[in-house]
Amino acid sequence: MPRYGMVIDLKRCYGCYACSMACKTANHTPPGVFWARVLMGEVGTYPNAVRQALPVLCMQCDEPSCLEVCPTGATQQRDDGIVIVDQDKCMGCKYCVMACPYGARYSVEKWESYFPDGLPLSPLEEFQKKSWEEKSGVGKATKCDFCLDRIDDGKQPACVQACPAKARIFGVHDDPESEVTILIKKERGQVLNPEFGNKPKVYYLFPR
Amino acid sequence: MDPKVNGQLQHDWGWLIAAYLFLGGVGGGAYTIAALNSFMGASMELSTTIGLWIGFPALLIGTLFLIADLGSPTRAFLAGMRPGTSWIARGTWIISAFMVLSFVHLVLRQFTDVGTTAGGQTAINIIAIAGVVCAIGTMAYTGILLSASKGIPFWRSGVVPVVFVVSALVTGHFAIMLGMTLSGVTHTTVETLRTMALEAMGMVVLEVLAIVFFLQAAFRQPDPRESAERILRKRMFVFGYFVLGLAVPVILMRVVYNSTPESGVGGIAAVAVIGAVLGLVGGLILRQAVLICGALPTLNIAGFEFRRIHRAKEPKPGIGTLPPQ
Repeated sequence: MPRYGMVIDLKRCYGCYACSMACKTANHTPPGVFWARVLMGEVGTYPNAVRQALPVLCMQCDEPSCLEVCPTGATQQRDDGIVIVDQDKCMGCKYCVMACPYGARYSVEKWESYFPDGLPLSPLEEFQKKSWEEKSGVGKATKCDFCLDRIDDGKQPACVQACPAKARIFGVHDDPESEVTILIKKERGQVLNPEFGNKPKVYYLFPR
Repeated sequence: MDPKVNGQLQHDWGWLIAAYLFLGGVGGGAYTIAALNSFMGASMELSTTIGLWIGFPALLIGTLFLIADLGSPTRAFLAGMRPGTSWIARGTWIISAFMVLSFVHLVLRQFTDVGTTAGGQTAINIIAIAGVVCAIGTMAYTGILLSASKGIPFWRSGVVPVVFVVSALVTGHFAIMLGMTLSGVTHTTVETLRTMALEAMGMVVLEVLAIVFFLQAAFRQPDPRESAERILRKRMFVFGYFVLGLAVPVILMRVVYNSTPESGVGGIAAVAVIGAVLGLVGGLILRQAVLICGALPTLNIAGFEFRRIHRAKEPKPGIGTLPPQ
């Protein structure tokens, strides 16, 4: 069984947030929930300071700490390495949210409108809320699953497809011929915070 | 709501979980003291009875707080499915065993005459020893639950369970003293109160040492340091916990310890009640403060740290108005 992974080329990413928006559109995540988020950081000192964007999503770790702490067995790892949450087993204790060092998990109990001052949900929000509740449930742990539905249909994850700079490359992680593996080897891909010991499968190509 | 960024405080566990950890600690602490006092003879009879009456109900109410916090409370029965790896599952079994033992102990001691026979007393003693083991497990679990959370560096410390165990014993003492004074103070009770006040003072000193060591260790590393700085900036923690929850109760316990029945039973009771209530509130504040000051770790790659960028917000012009020249 192939194990999926992703490469994010930070040399190409310019922080346009298209991935965040594509993810929200595809998965109907509630306000405040960003399965694909973009952090902005600064490095260096004047006149050599640069601003760098860092897209972050669920790392689909080989040794996920969320899986370890789940008391009910709701968090599971598929044969292809993707970590999923069985909504029928999740009791919403949020321990996995505390356990994920990458902050990739969310638990939402109430859908609040994007609009301020307590305005009622718009028809689009009503649709998204209904869709979200059917798929992810209320008060359950949720996370990025590399757009499983799209992968099963032979498509790329929404964030990968939407990236205008082609900074995201999705593919099989353990195939030596795959683009993902070649890029990781050729450009010395690195993972975020390797000291966490979770063995993430999202690699970053960093400007040198 | 902002997307999650580094250094952002966790907001998924709030006061319901703080109350759960607090009541678990109070229940475990009160039962431990009661069970140990039960081996010390008739002089500590009242404190044993009060402690047993506090232990089981505190755990039960605490568990209800946990269930109330669940996103899907109807699935709470699944909580113990994976004790091999999950501390919540292990805690479920530990607390369940403790609840059964503390309930059986309470019923056998208070509602039956089993203890009047030698064999019956031996059985109660065995239950008490097993109960104390589970109570210590419960007190430690409330801290281990946090220290096993990889996503919050502030909690990832072996000192957290120590702080919570000591705090549980302190709050257990205060809960028993509160129960004793509310159930009526007599000349005999004053002696027990004095003993418990002395014990409480000693435990508070240990708690201060543990919390100072915990914060000092947190200040040595960048991510926990951020949380430690936040917690020390909170008035709730500094004044609510350190001053009102630790310092004032120690002073009041000193007053109780120095008093004699001749110095006025009513006054001693009032001082003990105030000290105990403040100490209990302090225990709750400690847990709440530790919870809400837990911050996400800093993500880094190749030495490049992605921290939250702190910038003063520039005032934006209102709609339909020109920006200031």
